[in-house]
This record gives sequence, structure tokens and C-alpha cells, in this order.
Amino acid sequence: MTTTTGAQAAPKQNPLTLIMKIKSPQDAAALQAMLDKFMGMPRDKNPIDVALDKLAKVHFARFVFLDDNTKLAVITSYDDSFEDYINDFVNLIGDIFNALLAHMADAPPLPVQQNRQAFLEYVAKNDLRCVGTFYSAYPTLGVKTILAQAAEAE
Amino acid sequence: MLAASTTPAAPAAELNLADIQGIILRSYRMPCLRTLLLRVDDAVRSRDFLRILAGGDQPLLRIQNAQAWDSKPPSCLNIGLTFEGLKALGLPDATLRTFPPEFVAGAVARAAVVGDTGVNDPANWIAPFNTTQPHILVTLSAQSAEIRDSVTAEIRRAVSGAATELSCLDGVMPADHKAHFGYVDGISQPRVAGVPRQKPDGSGIPEFSDPMALVPPGAFVLGHESPHPGLFYQMPAPDALGGNGSFAALRILKQDCAAFERFLDDASRQTGIDRELVAAKLCGRWRSGAPLALSPDTPNPTGLRVDHWNEFNYADDPAGKRCPLGSHIRRNNPRSTAVAGDGGERHRIMRRGLPYGPPHDPANPDDGIERGLLGLFICGSLRDQFEFLMKEWVEGGDFAGLGTDKDPILGNQPSTGGRMRIPNTGKPRTIIRGLPTFITTRAGAYCFLPSLTALRYLAGLV
Repeated sequence: MTTTTGAQAAPKQNPLTLIMKIKSPQDAAALQAMLDKFMGMPRDKNPIDVALDKLAKVHFARFVFLDDNTKLAVITSYDDSFEDYINDFVNLIGDIFNALLAHMADAPPLPVQQNRQAFLEYVAKNDLRCVGTFYSAYPTLGVKTILAQAAEAE
Repeated sequence: MLAASTTPAAPAAELNLADIQGIILRSYRMPCLRTLLLRVDDAVRSRDFLRILAGGDQPLLRIQNAQAWDSKPPSCLNIGLTFEGLKALGLPDATLRTFPPEFVAGAVARAAVVGDTGVNDPANWIAPFNTTQPHILVTLSAQSAEIRDSVTAEIRRAVSGAATELSCLDGVMPADHKAHFGYVDGISQPRVAGVPRQKPDGSGIPEFSDPMALVPPGAFVLGHESPHPGLFYQMPAPDALGGNGSFAALRILKQDCAAFERFLDDASRQTGIDRELVAAKLCGRWRSGAPLALSPDTPNPTGLRVDHWNEFNYADDPAGKRCPLGSHIRRNNPRSTAVAGDGGERHRIMRRGLPYGPPHDPANPDDGIERGLLGLFICGSLRDQFEFLMKEWVEGGDFAGLGTDKDPILGNQPSTGGRMRIPNTGKPRTIIRGLPTFITTRAGAYCFLPSLTALRYLAGLV
């Protein structure tokens, strides 16, 4: 864990701006339908929410269609190193990405569970990151610690 | 990184116990442990030494495999090779490049990942580790010091002219099985699917029952599926070299017993908690070995057999009121705890080793004698197991909602002192402050533990 007393200290959190190129308008429609279905579920049934709750490394996540539905963006703020948690991440949410990536051009080999390094490389390659430094209002706090402190405050 | 192969070299199959080094899958439970650190001087002769180890013609120098034994042997010999060692033995560059990057980088380059900074920095390690990495580690477990010494003499004869002995490190099992901080150690080890349970062997160590699921063999044996579904940890090529192998982190960890005992007094005064309960909260077990999860109030629970002292998870203690989330054993083996990544049962390591140095004498606390643990931490992926555990669970706290708190026993604490939260039942939590660094890294090396087939492969290099 890094301390964050210095002005140079990097925040604990990192940005992910993953832009995936969709194969065709039909694939875009299928993705839209799938995401609509998930987002319409209660939190304890939505497989994305359930997986991210267990992962407890992602602060915020959202999907955005770009450029006339030719691209799908996954935009998140997450803790620490994606690489360190890649195995746990894939264990929890691999099937979601298998479903998403099936509709993407230039997708890595699937399923991601058996191609974890290729998946990691695909994410790194298609992550726009951010300009300059990543701002955080609470640069020392990870998801689990925030939740623990919130629970204690109640 | 965490490369996974899409086509595993060997399909999930029965373990070839005769080909796997015994130290990976078996606990030898012998009172003496010696590690000889060698530097290869003559590659050809050193490869001949590997041939002797793999060949089995000289019984004392036969590598112990992982098969069950009918009667316990007088000694067990095993071998590890560092990346520098594999190079010195003449492994071609193209083959060397098939090893995982963290192993290639080695323990010195990876020091910052695992908390080997400040006092733990490799520059402060003991010789030869402060200037160089050994090439070959020969680990010898023996039933007595006499057997250890006679086998050592055989090893020295065999390596004469091939390699130089850089160092000889000895560990000894204390009669009461208590490590230097006074805790009974070695209670919890992963149980691996496909490995027969060990029989009682007169060592005095109980067969502890364990409710955790069997660990897939690929957690420790290359070529088998890892605990992550679909993932086979990166295996060096060709199969004859990588298959049935494993990796290990050698660690020499100095323990400051006097500081530990003084801190128990300090923390007891700080908190009003009995000092032995403080010791139990730091570890998660009483020094008797009884776990707080099963015995929150006493180190000697009646009605709970010793061999059941590992029969627990944390499902009924999510907040850590009995066993704190930040305690040493709950960090290093979170079991059912809801940790970040949900991998509390997936990043296991196999612990081998024994204490070195004489037992701490409370009547002479500052005797100036170094003591600690000579440990070998075995795993199929140094990165996903040893390094993950050290970085996320020992040196970090956020995985369990503990902010920047570190392992109270093993953590490399900030100069201002570390902190540990102790949730209490029925009242606000207690916070212990001013934790010093009790354990200092004195040496580290990343080793490849080749199969018997791989030893023959290496011996045959031309």
C-alpha cells in the first residue's frame, strides 16, 4: 500500500476507459438488449452487480454506447492493480465478458477463463486511460475500507 | 505476467507422485532442516550432480519424491534452482524465456512487491544474498543431527569440483513445536486433491482435520489446472522441463522476540486486554495453537480435541469479533472471509521450514543472538500466490476493509508504528497502536522445483 502524504503520491484508485469496437449493428442491438436486461434486474440478481460486489475493487462502473452504437465503452474507477486481481476478476465476471466480447471486432480468444493473458492484453490495448493524473477525492481509500467505515458510522 | 496456456501440456490427470518432489506435497515432519546454497562453477559437473540426484543410485542422495512411504526414511533430499542457476547450468536463452517473468526477475528485483523495503531491503540481507543469488538450493530434512551431517558429507563429496558451497543454513524443530514467538506452528496447510492423506508418523504432530475444500493440484504442480477455473499456471517449456515442477520463495526471516514480548506488555497496558489475549488477537490463535475462532476465551479449551483445532471457517464471525480480520492467520488464509476478489480460498501457499537460532530466553531477552524462520513457501505461481499474499494480505489491509493496516506479526510497519483494530463484542473496537516490525527479511530467493524428469532433462543438456 502506498502512503499518500506527498503531493506526488498516486491515488489508490485507477481509471479504466475501455472502448470496444462492435462487430455490426445487429451485434450492437444484441448488446443493448443484454445490457438492458441486466440493468433492469434488482441489484442482487444483476450478474454484473453481483460480481462487482464480490470483487470489491470497483468504485463505479457504467456502460456507454459511442459513435452511433459502433463502440461500447466500459468506464470504471477501480483500486490497485488490475493485473494483480486479474484471476479473481475473471473468475467473477469472466462469463459477462465472454458474452460482451462475442459481439466485438478484434475480440481476444474466448472464453477469457482460458485466455486470461490475452484478455489482459486486450483490455490494456483498448483502455484510453486518462489525460494527466487521475483525480480522487479520497486517494487513500479502497472500496472495502470505505464500506467498512460506512458500516461502522451507521 | 499471469500467462495461461490455452492448451495445457498435460490434461488434468492423476498426479504422478513419483515424478514430483516430495517437499511440494508432503510434510516430512523431521526435526532437522538444512539448506545448502551452491554456486555452479562447472556446468558439466553440476549437471552430473543433478543426474546423481535424479538417478537414485546413491540412496542418500536420492531426491525424495511425493509418493507415500511405508516407513519414514532417515532423511529427505530436495532441490531448487534459481534463474541464475538455470543459466549457469547452461539452459539456452530460448528455454529460459519460457519461465514466468517474476521468477526470471528474481527475489531482489521483486523485493518492493512483497514488502522487502527499508529494513527488509535486499542490500541489508545476509551474505551471499546481499550481493548475489545462489544457483542451487539443496534442502535436507533429517531425523537427527547425525543423519543430517552424514548426508551433508555425501552431498559435499558429490558437488566437489562442480559447485561452491556459499552457505549452510540450519533449522531445528523445537521439542514443543513452538516457533520463536511462542506459537505452535504448522497447523494449517492446504490439502491437495489427489494426494493421499499422510499417516500418523510418531512425530507428535496431530493430523488436523480441515473443513476447507481440497485445493486443485495445479495450485502447486505445474501442468494441472490451477484453483482458477480454466487457468493453468505458466509452465516452462518443454514439458519435460516444466511438467510436475513448482516454484518456491526461500525466505530467511529474523524474529525479534524481545520486541514482541515487550510489545505484548505495552499493548496490554494500552488496551487493558490480557497480554496472552493480545498475543492471540495478533495471531488469530493462542500460543497453544488453539484458534480464536473456536476458543475465544481460553488457550486450552476443554472438550475440543487438538486435532480439531483447524476445523473452522469465519462464516459466523464476519466482523472479526472473535478472530480479528487483521490477525495473522486470518489474513494469510482468509478461508470464508469476504475478501476483495472473493479469492480467500484460492491464493494458498504450502509452508515448509523450521526455526533457526536458539529459543528465546525471557530471562535473557537481549542476548544478541539472531533467531527466526528458515522458510520455503511453495506455489505454482509466485505471482498469484506468494507475491499476491504478501502484497495484498500481509502488506495491505484494504482487501478486508482495514485501510493501510498490515499484518501485525509479519508486516513491514511504518516508522511511526503499525495499527491493528480489534473488534469487541458489545463495545466499540479497540485499536492497538505503535506496532513495530517484528520480523525482518534477511534473505530471499525464488526457486524452481524441478520434477525428477526435469532433473534428468537438465542433466542431459549438452
